[in-house]
Amino acid sequence: MLLAALPATLRAQGGSPSATLAARGILVGTWVSRTPLGGDQAEVRLVQPMLMAHATAYDRHLRVTGTVDFEAWTIPDGELTIGMWGEGFVDRRHPHTIIHELVASGVGQVGSATVSLSGGKGFAAFGSDDPANRLTLRYPVNHHWSQLLERAVLTGGVLTGPVMLEVSLFNGDEPAYPEQAPNFGRFGDSWSTRLTVFPVHGLQVEASYASVQSPEHRDGSGTGQDKWHASGQWTRPLAGRPFYAMAEWARTTEGDGLFSYQSLLAEGSWDVGRTRLYYQFERTDRPEEERIFGQPTRSIRPHIEDATLGTTTWTLNTAGAGYDLTAGGGDLRLRPFVEVSYASVALSGPGVFDPVAWYGGTDFWGVSLGVTVGLGRTAFTHLMGRYGVAEDAMERTRAPHHH
Amino acid sequence: MQIIRRMLVACTAALLFLPGCGGSDSSTGPTPTRVIAVASGDGETAVVVGSVTLGARLTDGAGAPVQGAEVTWSVVSGGGSINPTSTTDAAGVATATFALGQVAGPQRARATASGVSSPAAFTVTAVAGPASQLTKSTGDGQSGYAGSPLALPYAVLAQDQYNNPVAGVTVNWTVTSGGGSLSAPTSVTSTAGAATVVHTLGPSVTAQTVTAAAPSIAGSPVTFSSTGAVGIQLVSTVPVPANYGLHDTYVRDGLAFLCVWDEGIFIYDIGNGVAGGTITAPRFVSSVKTAGGNVHNAWWYHAPGGSKRYLFVGEEGPGSVGSASSGSIHVVDVSNLAAPVEVGSYTLAGAGAHNVWVDEVNEILYAAFYNGGVVALDVSGTLPANLATRELARIRPGGDGNTYVWGVMQYQGDIYASDMLSGFWRLRYAAGSFSIVGGGNNVPERYTSDLWAHNGYGYTGGWGYRGAQAGNALKVWQLGTGAPALVDSVITSGITTVSDVQVSADGKLLVFSTENGPNAGLHVHSLAGSPGHPTPLTRYLVSQGLHTATVETIAGRTYVFAARNPASPALLIFDITSLTP
Repeated sequence: MLLAALPATLRAQGGSPSATLAARGILVGTWVSRTPLGGDQAEVRLVQPMLMAHATAYDRHLRVTGTVDFEAWTIPDGELTIGMWGEGFVDRRHPHTIIHELVASGVGQVGSATVSLSGGKGFAAFGSDDPANRLTLRYPVNHHWSQLLERAVLTGGVLTGPVMLEVSLFNGDEPAYPEQAPNFGRFGDSWSTRLTVFPVHGLQVEASYASVQSPEHRDGSGTGQDKWHASGQWTRPLAGRPFYAMAEWARTTEGDGLFSYQSLLAEGSWDVGRTRLYYQFERTDRPEEERIFGQPTRSIRPHIEDATLGTTTWTLNTAGAGYDLTAGGGDLRLRPFVEVSYASVALSGPGVFDPVAWYGGTDFWGVSLGVTVGLGRTAFTHLMGRYGVAEDAMERTRAPHHH
Repeated sequence: MQIIRRMLVACTAALLFLPGCGGSDSSTGPTPTRVIAVASGDGETAVVVGSVTLGARLTDGAGAPVQGAEVTWSVVSGGGSINPTSTTDAAGVATATFALGQVAGPQRARATASGVSSPAAFTVTAVAGPASQLTKSTGDGQSGYAGSPLALPYAVLAQDQYNNPVAGVTVNWTVTSGGGSLSAPTSVTSTAGAATVVHTLGPSVTAQTVTAAAPSIAGSPVTFSSTGAVGIQLVSTVPVPANYGLHDTYVRDGLAFLCVWDEGIFIYDIGNGVAGGTITAPRFVSSVKTAGGNVHNAWWYHAPGGSKRYLFVGEEGPGSVGSASSGSIHVVDVSNLAAPVEVGSYTLAGAGAHNVWVDEVNEILYAAFYNGGVVALDVSGTLPANLATRELARIRPGGDGNTYVWGVMQYQGDIYASDMLSGFWRLRYAAGSFSIVGGGNNVPERYTSDLWAHNGYGYTGGWGYRGAQAGNALKVWQLGTGAPALVDSVITSGITTVSDVQVSADGKLLVFSTENGPNAGLHVHSLAGSPGHPTPLTRYLVSQGLHTATVETIAGRTYVFAARNPASPALLIFDITSLTP
């Protein structure tokens, strides 16, 4: 279908195919001062182990992007973190699906506009870049408010001048475990759109909307979500040194507005020689749900009744520093880093969830010490979640990978 | 007289020259000239029937070794043997080989010599040899309810060749017939030589066997056999669409109304005759999806005049415990069972319906409306499309921020309400208004779930985690004239929720369903001894958990209609008649 969408001349042309392959992973030790019912906790894990491929043909008119995620084996019970939420995991980040993305894109010109059609499993056109492609090791609480990923997705994009518009159709269901494929029978029950403007080089401003049907119930009987997102991103040197800053706002409502979750996040980095200093502020709401017996970091999926206990607001400050041991190049890249987070939680509005009873307090510390290992030229530049025209546009404001 | 004098003289002479004559005053006798003491071997450990070399040192009064003296050895306990004599060497030490007896435990010997006042005492600990035999100990031949754990564990005994218990032997347990499960696949023998396991019987009512095996040990494997008696017997399974699943079932006149969230009401014939169904083979009659579709529970209303036209359906929409809820009560006309149709509804703004109870004599429907409290509706006569005009009264017993009513039930003229936040209440409806008779704020440590009242007692469940406290308690309340008084609690480990509670019509069985944990399923207790103090009879575990359990007596038998949660949601019909005391 994608090939058919290409101009006949391109199909005949063939072009010069190319491909890149890279791998990346983070060996990290993390300590968190409070965990549900369990006091302090520390662990060492290999997180975000990924194999990333990108191939082009027909002079880049045909592209395939793929990322295989091995967290199903390295963190089957999730990653220790502060305040993270999603896919049944609470206070631990869930492992992503094994086929994290596999998307083919056809890109062509229509007059002065570049157009693309992308299809496969991956990210819908919504929100900001995946946290795995940004600064901090710690996934923000707002991961599920600011990204839509691991869906069967079809995205059309138009890029003309400084304006890019994308529209995605996808299935609403979130995967519940790493091996689970999207519910293809629900493809098209949800949609999203993202408008991005690039007024000057290094600056992008984005606004997104998504209508997601029953994300938390695979068969489609759960409540739907309306999602809004807006962000601004700056990627231009400051005082002659690489500088990056991004601020985003997200809002998700569910159950015809019965539930509403908001998020504000700002982050930035500044490179001093081979050292990268970074900081992230986040204030995000998350739902509190009934937990599973004996598994206080898991909630029941699917819900068998109303199990929401209230909404909490998490405020986090995360600062870190990374050092590029192998800045001279080569296929092996090593980036040791240290990252410290301080967080607080409070019940937002009415509800029966008691953070003090659950955690033994309302403030948290988290410290991570690790090293990011990259293999391959594109280990730190592989662009996840941007397909077709979005891939080209992001070259204008590429955000730095963490650490 | 002369005889007496001679005796006194003789005795005086004896006291002067012979020790001990005429008395026991040793202070007047000679002191021992030698001392014998332990030199080696005391406190040692050896395998039974093994040997240990004992050594005794003989010294003179000045503490110098005595060489060449004969030491006499003897066994005090343990049944072993020892060299009868040995001679001291230059160091004053004499040795002997203590051959231990066959009994594990302390074995004692002693050594003595001429001129010694007290012997040297030796204690050697004999330990069992390697396990050589595995034998059946206790637990064989029991009878229990199919699907339930047996009252006593199976035990095997590992022993050495002399029948001493052997600790640390790993025993592998296997169910070899009848199904069921074991508390552990292996267990290790204790210091008493025993390894145990608990057998939860499978569904079979025939003999069920389990073997215990320890490699290379005579007698292994050992086979235990117990018999499963009919307890909770699954007689029928009716799958429902795999969305959120089945929430509740209402049973009356041979019909089962299945309340399937997001799908509607499914009517099955279980003996009514309308579709030829039976308890063991229910037949689908029809279905209806009320507006919204979040069907949670139902009540087929039999009016005093004989009308059976209306089915009241409670819908449970999205909510947040303690603060928000949604969903209405819908009225379905079931005059034509083959084509039921919705004809009315009642909505309470800002709150959602949960369980309902109908006072059919006085034609009043009482509904739990979570944060909206309890509502009374007039359901007499022909009902309008909007039942707002039929509202008689409402009450939020816990007050603002402390009301989230799960269920209501009429009992002996009063209305009892279980409030997730504020506990168990006794209310009264009269002359168009509710009043509080008593109770409330009496379960602060748990969220309260369902309720039932019978025999002068009330029974309430628990839900989820309240802080760190799981809702794993079934509370028993005495219902007098005022506030309910807590008299007992039944704690079920391995769950977080007691999701539904009911007493059988004869008042003899207390049935409750549980969710979220390894012991989720159906639990049956006896009330025959005392309705205030339930005693466990048996259980039927369902890994997904059971959301509700409706108890009905049909043709003299007692059935439970239980809602199995996703995945594979279904109505499970159990026959529990045999459990009736």
